[in-house]
Amino acid sequence: MVLICSLLFLYACSSGKEQDTNPKEDVIPGKVELSDGWVRPGSKGMMSAVYLTISNGTAKRDTLAEVSSDVAKRAEVHESYKGENGMSGMRPAPNRIIEAGEELYLQPGGLHIMLISLNKDLVPGDSVEIDFSFKQTGTKTVRMPVKAQNP
Amino acid sequence: MRSTLYILLAFGMLAVFLEACSGPDTIADLSNESYQLLDSDSSSIIFPSHFRGETTVISFIYTHCPDVCPIITANMKNIQSGLADTSDVQFVEITFDPERDTPSVLAEYRKVYRLNDQFTLLTGQPAIIDSLMSRLHIVAKKAKIDSLQQDSSDYFMQHSNTIYIMDQNGRVRTEYPASVVPPENVIEDLKKIR
Ligand SMILES: [Cu+2]
Repeated sequence: MVLICSLLFLYACSSGKEQDTNPKEDVIPGKVELSDGWVRPGSKGMMSAVYLTISNGTAKRDTLAEVSSDVAKRAEVHESYKGENGMSGMRPAPNRIIEAGEELYLQPGGLHIMLISLNKDLVPGDSVEIDFSFKQTGTKTVRMPVKAQNP
Repeated sequence: MRSTLYILLAFGMLAVFLEACSGPDTIADLSNESYQLLDSDSSSIIFPSHFRGETTVISFIYTHCPDVCPIITANMKNIQSGLADTSDVQFVEITFDPERDTPSVLAEYRKVYRLNDQFTLLTGQPAIIDSLMSRLHIVAKKAKIDSLQQDSSDYFMQHSNTIYIMDQNGRVRTEYPASVVPPENVIEDLKKIR
């Protein structure tokens, strides 16, 4: 947490400075791309997970600050992890940083968006709109298919 | 070079010999035990005698787990579809979260993941589930998450990631890391055990 805070703090400072001295390096909106998204099926009241690749094609690092969707009461960024003795667990993974030119992969068994308490059944063939808000780029909305398993 | 080979050979023979002495490996022998569980249609099932005479692939899940548990279930389905002949094989998923995973919740899960009749999803009274889990060396503990603290029924679980093969006589014989084991490995052992 301390590390994340200090990184954010440093980042806030440095980006402010850059904007003052070198406006050419401003973030070009629209260059953060969301691709290969899919959503697991689920029943109303239950959970689901969202997977995708986020590419930061801008010249600056960005942070995935918040996720939301009309289909769920809440959406959170989580990661599955391996604990001791091969145990498997899950924990929140807020404020993921995506460096300039890099990609963030959300894949089964790792980082994922958790849809908590679905407002309706999600079945394969449906599609779902998810809002991603980034600290630099702002909010991007993507529609993703519901699939039982990524082929 | 030669001598190394002989030593290796000797060790190999020793290993074979030891294995022959101890008989087939058994992780847990449930042949004389019985656990009263509930099927996803709420009917009562006595475990493991209900599955006697069939080789059973067993995994452990909770349905509030949308990431790793569906991978485990998908892997079970891959094992099923990779078997040329599934006639004497059963697939069982037992919840370690019986408080939330009632029979009807498990019925939803089976619908969502399109599991056929060869799959049985089991829950039961928490005390019975707990004793079965500890008998099978399956660990599952609740983990509170800050953002979810407003409701005591909102929790995640840290849990073992295990698939077992139980033979026709209720003896648990082999064990695999459930979400990552290649289905072929389980299929190969199934052919030997069944
Ligand atoms: Cu999650």
